[in-house]
Amino acid sequence: MATVTAGLARPDAVPALGARAGIAGTLRSEFTKIRSVRSTYWSLILLVLAGFAWTVADCLGTAHNWPHMAAQDKIGFDATQASVTGVALFGQLVILVLGTLVLTSEYSTGMIRTSLAVMPRRAVLYWSKAAVFAAVSVVIAVATSLAVFGVGQILLHSTGQSASLSQPGALRAVLLTGFFVALSGAMAYGMGAIVRNTAGGITASFGLMFLVPQLAKALPSAWYADLDRWLPGGDMLPAITSSQSQPLNPHMFSAWGEFAVFGGYAVIMLGIGALLFSRRDA
Amino acid sequence: MIEARGLTKRYERTLAVDDLSFTVRPGLVTGFLGPNGAGKTTTMRLVLGLDRPTAGTVTIDGRPHRQAASPMREVGALIDARAAHGGRSARNHLLCLAQTNGISPRRVDEVLGIVGLSDVAGKRSKGFSLGMSQRLGIAAALLGDPRVLMFDEPVNGLDPEGILWIRNLMRSLAAEGRVVFVSSHLMSEMENTADHLIVVGRGRLIADCGMAEFIDRSPGQAVMVRTPSQDLLAQAVADAGGSVTRESDQLRVRGLSEDQVGDIAFANRVPVYHLAAAKVSLEQAFMELTADSVDYHAGLPVSQEA
Repeated sequence: MATVTAGLARPDAVPALGARAGIAGTLRSEFTKIRSVRSTYWSLILLVLAGFAWTVADCLGTAHNWPHMAAQDKIGFDATQASVTGVALFGQLVILVLGTLVLTSEYSTGMIRTSLAVMPRRAVLYWSKAAVFAAVSVVIAVATSLAVFGVGQILLHSTGQSASLSQPGALRAVLLTGFFVALSGAMAYGMGAIVRNTAGGITASFGLMFLVPQLAKALPSAWYADLDRWLPGGDMLPAITSSQSQPLNPHMFSAWGEFAVFGGYAVIMLGIGALLFSRRDA
Repeated sequence: MIEARGLTKRYERTLAVDDLSFTVRPGLVTGFLGPNGAGKTTTMRLVLGLDRPTAGTVTIDGRPHRQAASPMREVGALIDARAAHGGRSARNHLLCLAQTNGISPRRVDEVLGIVGLSDVAGKRSKGFSLGMSQRLGIAAALLGDPRVLMFDEPVNGLDPEGILWIRNLMRSLAAEGRVVFVSSHLMSEMENTADHLIVVGRGRLIADCGMAEFIDRSPGQAVMVRTPSQDLLAQAVADAGGSVTRESDQLRVRGLSEDQVGDIAFANRVPVYHLAAAKVSLEQAFMELTADSVDYHAGLPVSQEA
């Protein structure tokens, strides 16, 4: 039978009464949370593998077909974009799921009640969790983007079109691709806080990123042309991953412009999520 | 000290907690009793700031929990044993809680030892039995060495040894001068553990008193008398203000003490063969007091032969 006393064997293990618990501890706690569940590792491994698989398949295929390609296609070819598109596409899919899960899994397991009991200042919990998740996803997504760029350029070497990071626009495209993936995760996190349900949150984020741009195509073409640059996902991806100085699609903003538009979506979702997280009963 | 003043919580149409005022004091085990749906868990959620009250306030040592400087030093709570991510090991679960309040990892190992989970500290809590989950929840509550402890149905899922263990734990926590607030629907368990009772029904306060007082006040409290002169004694007792019912060869007298009934018998020269207080258990006292405030009445048991 275990001894019963709840008293402290080593009183210095617990801070003095009145010592203020705050952001630093909560950030540390959230990092422990994210590194101590398997779903984090599975999703991030999937993100990296899928990004690589796409890049290898696409670049190998292009290199193989290059001698038979039409001159026009060769002129429009963007070696940087070809190498990072897979990360943008698959990374986005995976990160939307993970971004939703970091918060909604606390609701589905009931952990949220324990988390809020030990840190009842909700803004501290919400933003610490968001910051830790954002940091992890930025590191993984940017590193993957850089890595697949390198691999892609090696595979495209035979085309004579391979790019290097010192070329204008290449570094921008590689970094924005990584940041775009991370930003998608932040958007999904906000959506998760709004919906508070894993399946619902994932569906809502996928709907916003994939369905909304598709549905908008049903609009009269003049309207769609004006609206397209403001839509999340869709044509935004080619604009952000492009290394060209001017957008190929004349209806779109520049790479930075489209990135900023999507940043706006993420900020709005995060903001609504924060508001609801602070106000609603847990 | 937990203080509720006019605490009210309405969920859409249901009034879960209705103008509840009470104080839970340090140094005692305070039992929080009520039928299912009486608002016990809601009240505890309000104490922790998980839900916002519709009206009224509830404070821990004078402050709402949301304003606590070091929340885990103030209060440790077990609300729901399953309120943990099952994919996380017991140690990591406690570690991530401890870190929010700057509590050392050494304390994590210490509480794992206190609740007897050291051997499974590295195992994912998904595979834990209900009893092990309860222990993990209790470990989380103890982490911050808090002044106030709240346990919602802590003996659920525990085996007899575990029940004894938690009873001793609660008693020793109270003996250390802490506030111990524990809800249960197991009356026999409360009878052995609690010093003070707060009883609710349909979200309202029914009783807030010591355990002994609660039982003494029960309408079930009675004196049983065996006498050959039942009519005579029944009349005399009724004249003195008691109420009498006949039960085979005995009289059940309510509203008078044993001494009073004995004196009445002596004064009326009624022979008495046996006279004793009918001990009411907490369970009986509770049932009688809350009979009108039970939300979900069970029907009569259905006959098996039907």
